[in-house]
Amino acid sequence: MREILRKLLGKLPREFRVLCRQFLLRVVDLEALSVHADVPRFLGQFAGVLILIDVLRTIGFLFFEAGKPGMVGDAMITALLQVAHGLVSMMMLVVGLIAVVSWDTIFPDRRDAMVLGPLPVRPGTILAAKVAACAAVVGVALLSLASGMGIVLPLIAGSWRVFAGYWLGMAASCVFVYGAVLAVQGLTALVLPRKMFLRISAVLQLGAFAWFVAGYFLEPGLSGLDWLEGAAARGALHLWPSYWFLALELQIAGHMPAELHEIASRAWTGLGIVVAGAGLSLALCYLRTMKKTVEEPDLVPGRNSGRGWPTVRAGGKVETAVVRFTIRGLARSRHHRVIDAFYWAIIFAIAVSTLRSEGAGGWRLPVTQAYMMPTFAILCLAVVGLRSTFALPVSLHANWVLRVTQLNPSQQYIAGTRRALLLLSAAPAWGLAALLGLGFRPWGHVAEHLVVLAAVAWIQAELCMIRVSKIPFACSYLPGKTNLQYLFWGFVLVFLALAMSLANLEMRVLGDPWQYAALVGVLFAIAVGLWALNRHRAREAVLYYEELEPVVIQTLGLAGAQLAAIEPAGVRRA
Amino acid sequence: MLELRRVSKLFAGIPAVDHVSFAARPGEVTGYLGPNGSGKSTTMKMITGLLERSGGEISFDGCPIEEDLIAYKRRMGYVPEEPYLYTHLSGLEYLTMVAELRALPERRSLEQIEELLRLLSLHDDRHASIGGYSKGMRQKVLIAAALLHNPELVLLDEPFSGLDVGSALMLRSLIQQLAARGKVVLFSSHELDTVERVSQRVVILHKGKIVADDSIANLRSLMELQSLEAIFSQLAVEQDTDAIAREIVDVIRA
Repeated sequence: MREILRKLLGKLPREFRVLCRQFLLRVVDLEALSVHADVPRFLGQFAGVLILIDVLRTIGFLFFEAGKPGMVGDAMITALLQVAHGLVSMMMLVVGLIAVVSWDTIFPDRRDAMVLGPLPVRPGTILAAKVAACAAVVGVALLSLASGMGIVLPLIAGSWRVFAGYWLGMAASCVFVYGAVLAVQGLTALVLPRKMFLRISAVLQLGAFAWFVAGYFLEPGLSGLDWLEGAAARGALHLWPSYWFLALELQIAGHMPAELHEIASRAWTGLGIVVAGAGLSLALCYLRTMKKTVEEPDLVPGRNSGRGWPTVRAGGKVETAVVRFTIRGLARSRHHRVIDAFYWAIIFAIAVSTLRSEGAGGWRLPVTQAYMMPTFAILCLAVVGLRSTFALPVSLHANWVLRVTQLNPSQQYIAGTRRALLLLSAAPAWGLAALLGLGFRPWGHVAEHLVVLAAVAWIQAELCMIRVSKIPFACSYLPGKTNLQYLFWGFVLVFLALAMSLANLEMRVLGDPWQYAALVGVLFAIAVGLWALNRHRAREAVLYYEELEPVVIQTLGLAGAQLAAIEPAGVRRA
Repeated sequence: MLELRRVSKLFAGIPAVDHVSFAARPGEVTGYLGPNGSGKSTTMKMITGLLERSGGEISFDGCPIEEDLIAYKRRMGYVPEEPYLYTHLSGLEYLTMVAELRALPERRSLEQIEELLRLLSLHDDRHASIGGYSKGMRQKVLIAAALLHNPELVLLDEPFSGLDVGSALMLRSLIQQLAARGKVVLFSSHELDTVERVSQRVVILHKGKIVADDSIANLRSLMELQSLEAIFSQLAVEQDTDAIAREIVDVIRA
């Protein structure tokens, strides 16, 4: 198989293959990785998370849905539709996130212009290699996330058209999302002056991020075939592309109800517009932007970004320096901004959904778990989100300055990290929870919950700071160290269990001042205990900048016959 | 005085710096020379404490540097070989961060930073991102960051890299004036002409070992050579440079 693939790839032009490989590796920022990290492993982990989701979903469907007694006729059709729609929806989210994370990578940048410009490589080859590299990443995502159900669904339906409909619909949804992002980017680049585009690009990227994540969480769930037909007839699905592509799947599979005809044609129209828009803007960008990029001045005059803003102080000079460094890193580094924006987009979706229920309840809902759970989720996502961005470095090479100027105990730097975490995640999340509380009554209960929330925020920040002896954005990133695929599910389970228990407990004690005081006392005692533990550890801590030290002993990597070949005569291994 | 005694550094068992001993005195500029890969930057990194030694001792004013590394860092300024900076910060923000991390008095350090930026012709671009700075501008930011706290020991690793003629002449004079004010100045450079003009003494490193440590005048008379370039060529350059140039031309012609 590998040989066939090699032969097939060998027929492609050499310069295309070389460029494609390079661009594929550039999807990940190499400078951010630890000494022991490699890009294929990183991409493998990404695929691993998606495959796990696919396997869980397929097994769940087979054992808990399709295997249920009485699962025939309409019930089975509803279950199949729900799974198919869920997959289209998640696929669009994943591809949307890939498009946002690899923002700009498909367009020629300054590095391309300076490195490839002097070489005899045609812009068309560069463009084709970039498109192929991006398509490869999207393809990996598609195969990882959709393969399980892609086999099971056609087998249950017993039709090759279902197979074709499923895969073509999924692929079309991927092309639509990725193409839409490209078209928006490309057209903005063409219409706006280069300098203004570079400024707006970051805002567009964050907007796209929020759009995809919030859209995923806010779109209406499919409850049955009748609901689908009714909603389509009322025009309620016109704004949700995941339903367009579900209709498209059904159309190709030959099982489309007449009511879905209009939204299926929306999928085709949307696909056509997006492909044409992306293709046109890409081609024009390669003809026009390459030149603009080369002519771009190296030094863009800056303005004092701190003017008009209150000066941030976070205690001593070192703590203040660490907090300011974090704020600037978060504001100006695309990678960090995007990762944090992912969590804030989910927070935004939760907040919007809470506001909708508040509005439906006449803005005077009683304080129940319906208010508590979203606020716990908002807080948790904000703190964990920022903590995860801390793990990604801004510039490993520049860390020497932090080491040379470390004239104060590590404790102060770690305190700075903690303050940055509290100031930039817990505080805004708490503020948002307070705003959401305005629609609930009585306000006394809202205030009591906010005190509990403050204690929880502190506990969470201290939990995130356990064994953290580093400055934000100043340590290498080692993919796999955190075992993201397990940590994610573990986190979801533990969070749900703890948040539900705490919300139930809080509901029981809200009316009783003594019990409430006891709960708050226990929570703050836990927070102080964790703070004291972290502080004690920080006294002895040594700041680290590399997740793993480079190996001192070099292994030769010899095995089997190679090892036997260098063994002296007469030596036999056991 | 900065003193190195039998300092070594091994990478995977291979010596990059091999039992190096020399001293750099206050009021004197010590040039540290050697071909690429001879171990100059490794030595510099060991002197700053960025890199751990495999053996030997480094002391400043008679005290081993690891005895109180923080106190030592307070007295040291360092310009690294590569101009690695946090490019998401502006020049002003970077220098302010360094001043804060060094716990310098806020108002005074801000005035100093403004003045240094003006003197180094960076003031107009002080709010621009370092990412857009040229190599020379970055080098100037590094020089300002290294001198901001008025250090007693100044370590300069290829400080002339990327500087234009005017800035290089200014830096040459600055190095001499720093030494004249009693500071210990150790600087490495490939520009032998500059080293010859600025340094009172030179240490020449070859394959991790010291092959010369003396004043330039003494070396000239001992080796009966006219210039530092000739001394360096004899001590540290093994290849026939003209022959290699000829071979390169032959290779590309083939």
